[in-house]
Amino acid sequence: MTGEHDPLTFAGNPVEYFNGSRLAMHTLPRGELERLQLEAARLRFAALRDRVPVLTTMAEEQGITELRGLDDAAPLLFPHTVYKSYPASLLTDNRFDRLTRWLARLTTVDLSEVDARGLGSIDAWLDLVDERTPLRLAHSSGTTGTMSFLPHTAVQYDRLYEMVRLDVTPDADVDVVWPSFRTGRSGIARHATAMGQQLGGSPDRFHTLHDGHLSADVMHLAGRLRAAAARGELDRVRVPANLAERRAEFEDALDATGRGMGEFVQRLADTLGGRRIASLSTWDVFHGMAEAGSGRGLRGVFAPDSVLLPGGGSKAGALPEDWDRGVMAFAGVDRLAYVYAMVEVIALNMLCQDNAYHVEPWLVLYLLDPDTGRVLPRRGTVTGRAAFLDLSADLFWGGFVSGDRVTATWEPCPCGRTTPRLHHGTVGRFGGAGGDDKITCAATASALTETLEFLNGALV
Amino acid sequence: MPAVVRGRVHEADPVEFPAGFHGPDPVGLLPVLPLRDPVALSDLQSVPFAEVVDLLAELGGQLALSRNDFLQEALSLLPEFSDLTADVLRSTYLQLPGLFAPEAVWALAERAIGAEFLDGWVSSGGAAVRAFGARAVHVIAGNNPIIAAITVVRSAVTRGDAIIKAPANDPVTAPAILRTLVELAPEHPLTRHLSVLYWKGGDTGFERGLYHPAQVEKVVAWGGFGSVQHVTQYLRPGLELIALDPKLSATVIGPEAFASEAALRETARLAAADVGVLNQEGCFNARVIYAATGTDEAGLATALRWGAMLHEEVQRLPAALSTPARRFDPELRENLRGLAAAPDWYRVVGGRGGEGAVVVSLSAEPVDFRDALSGRVANVVPIDDPAEAVRAMNSYTQTVGVYPDSLKRVLRDTAPLYGVQRLVSLGYATHFRPEVPQDGMEPTRRMIKWITDESYDPASTHPFAHLAPDAPAWAGEVR
Repeated sequence: MTGEHDPLTFAGNPVEYFNGSRLAMHTLPRGELERLQLEAARLRFAALRDRVPVLTTMAEEQGITELRGLDDAAPLLFPHTVYKSYPASLLTDNRFDRLTRWLARLTTVDLSEVDARGLGSIDAWLDLVDERTPLRLAHSSGTTGTMSFLPHTAVQYDRLYEMVRLDVTPDADVDVVWPSFRTGRSGIARHATAMGQQLGGSPDRFHTLHDGHLSADVMHLAGRLRAAAARGELDRVRVPANLAERRAEFEDALDATGRGMGEFVQRLADTLGGRRIASLSTWDVFHGMAEAGSGRGLRGVFAPDSVLLPGGGSKAGALPEDWDRGVMAFAGVDRLAYVYAMVEVIALNMLCQDNAYHVEPWLVLYLLDPDTGRVLPRRGTVTGRAAFLDLSADLFWGGFVSGDRVTATWEPCPCGRTTPRLHHGTVGRFGGAGGDDKITCAATASALTETLEFLNGALV
Repeated sequence: MPAVVRGRVHEADPVEFPAGFHGPDPVGLLPVLPLRDPVALSDLQSVPFAEVVDLLAELGGQLALSRNDFLQEALSLLPEFSDLTADVLRSTYLQLPGLFAPEAVWALAERAIGAEFLDGWVSSGGAAVRAFGARAVHVIAGNNPIIAAITVVRSAVTRGDAIIKAPANDPVTAPAILRTLVELAPEHPLTRHLSVLYWKGGDTGFERGLYHPAQVEKVVAWGGFGSVQHVTQYLRPGLELIALDPKLSATVIGPEAFASEAALRETARLAAADVGVLNQEGCFNARVIYAATGTDEAGLATALRWGAMLHEEVQRLPAALSTPARRFDPELRENLRGLAAAPDWYRVVGGRGGEGAVVVSLSAEPVDFRDALSGRVANVVPIDDPAEAVRAMNSYTQTVGVYPDSLKRVLRDTAPLYGVQRLVSLGYATHFRPEVPQDGMEPTRRMIKWITDESYDPASTHPFAHLAPDAPAWAGEVR
């Protein structure tokens, strides 16, 4: 630990603060951790309160001028709906200028010079924001017909994967396997990009299922189609001409996510066989890879010290009970490094040997009563709705209420870590909350299929 | 929760259901539950309709809450399961006797079916037609206790055999009504053809034993998407689904409402009834309100002012008709909070204490969570022309409350093409009339098996006459 006591370094650059020690991050005495978190939270709140308009409004409504304790921030944790509160017509009518104005209420970044007039697609807008600002917006899968945009920053993603590097491969670069599109701006795609850069070093060590770009416009159109179909209004969806023109590209992409998985695992076996890799994906995609591998008789493909980071969980019944065995057999590893991650919060929260996800120290964990939203006590083992204050957020407010129901224990873990932990196997979704608006590559494949089917129908 | 099967009350050997109450094991009741012999309906078929009316009238008399122990007990238990509050539930229970009154029953028989078809063969154009009852399972909704009563009346009027699936959010009303009937007329054929029990929807072990064309001919399924959806797996030739599927309702208010202070107040009061009565639990309650205030600055200011009045009027509704929700949907609460991020487009009036809220859109666009509005939360959407509103309707739009009535006449020829099924004067959306069509069809009529008897005389009509090249287009009797 550095001698200097600086809560903002702790919040924004924990690698520096803890001198590169992951163990130190998770073994502070609880009181000390919470004092540090409170100091950082107070500084963040003081800096953002008058500069992030949505936070200003909420703080005024609640009459909160300062944080005396961590629980004081609970009424200021944003519901997930904040990030999709713009009218849906802004996307369908290409009003990206107004969408930029909406975004400006969520961040301190000056967007007045970002001229989004005349843009014709979500992708183009995300491009523009990437180019002109330090923000790296992460979009949701849009499966419910609306798309959330989270105003994260490039620095946050970079710092996170500097840290993941400490966990995975402190000494040398490693091949990074990303079983999806090479580029994209969904929450998980942002992770993949940062992971490729921080762990792989060079682009040729970033191995992807498809060389193309996962289009936010495709995801959005697919979500709208699904929502419209559910409402019996499919005939009222207008397809933007620029999407209709990209049909061939989608066809190719769909092919890659479907049949392409077999060729991909073969290519991995041929080029990376026996080598150490790191890979991040969702449970279902890892399962799909393993299935494709077993179809080709591929087993023990990578070096045994490879690191596979599955996240996202599974809907009941969606995966076989023993899907993890299949993945381990395919990859040739004897454990999986499960993570508890979400688009809204920049952390991976890795699983310890005692089967619990440890909440990273720059995240203040809250457990809320699912009905009333009140904070549950920070002691013992508690079940509730998980919420976080992400102290790494410096250009936007990191307070966020998730749709996840979790069981957490506040007391130290047998593994030695002192950070609060969420029990593996207790993480579920609250009905409705956030719906199925989660980032999964299963959604990617079906989004492509649905979009294509609709385009084919519309173009005939 | 007891089960009542064909005049017998079953309370023994209860099992616990996931919904949080006990009742007899439905599988154990399977041997006595369905009417396997279709001819066994003949006893009810031969009861004159007037006698059905009399019995229902007597039953209605027994359903006075103050004198009926079964109903009192049911009402004391119901708040634990219902989304309605105790005050509002009490009001709905007071409504029950009226549904069994002879005038109401005759109106249903006459307008929905034609009473003469119930008592015998009605000749017309060379054919005679008679209405026969069918063996039906009724998967009813529990968001309003009167649905249980309406189901009993409809089944009695059509002289069908009814197995009612009590809903988890009202497992008590239908059993209480049937127990009252059992005490009143234990051996009457009507009593012997009414049953109610609870099982968990989707319990395939039980449902496979029940839903079979040899013992059930129709399934009347109310309510949520799930309940309608899972019934469909049992459908096959001989088993018909009458789906009263999930619906939402809307409101269209013409510019007249905003022409004077008095009209503003009056329409806010009327709209409040559509939004708030029965706590917005019904599919007929208003949710999105299209208001032709105009979308210019003055129009938006009017929409905001009227939205605030609407919220006030909803809050003023008497507790017997409307109260804050028992449990305000946390997801909706989050959606309302989220709108704080978009003040250029939406303003929220109220909503902090779960008392209800009005979201005023500042463009002609409803909130994207419009289908999840509940707990007395409405969305006022300003528009320039009332016809715009109709374009947002679809086949899930059951009721459209309209002001003024003259606008209803303008909308009623086009709105149905978009899917709208019912237009009603603003303020009266929650008036339910069992005798008129519902959800774009006539459920009572569909509960009937319509049987024909056609007569020919070889002396005047050759058996091949219909295929003769010069066969008349109309071969029936010309009057």
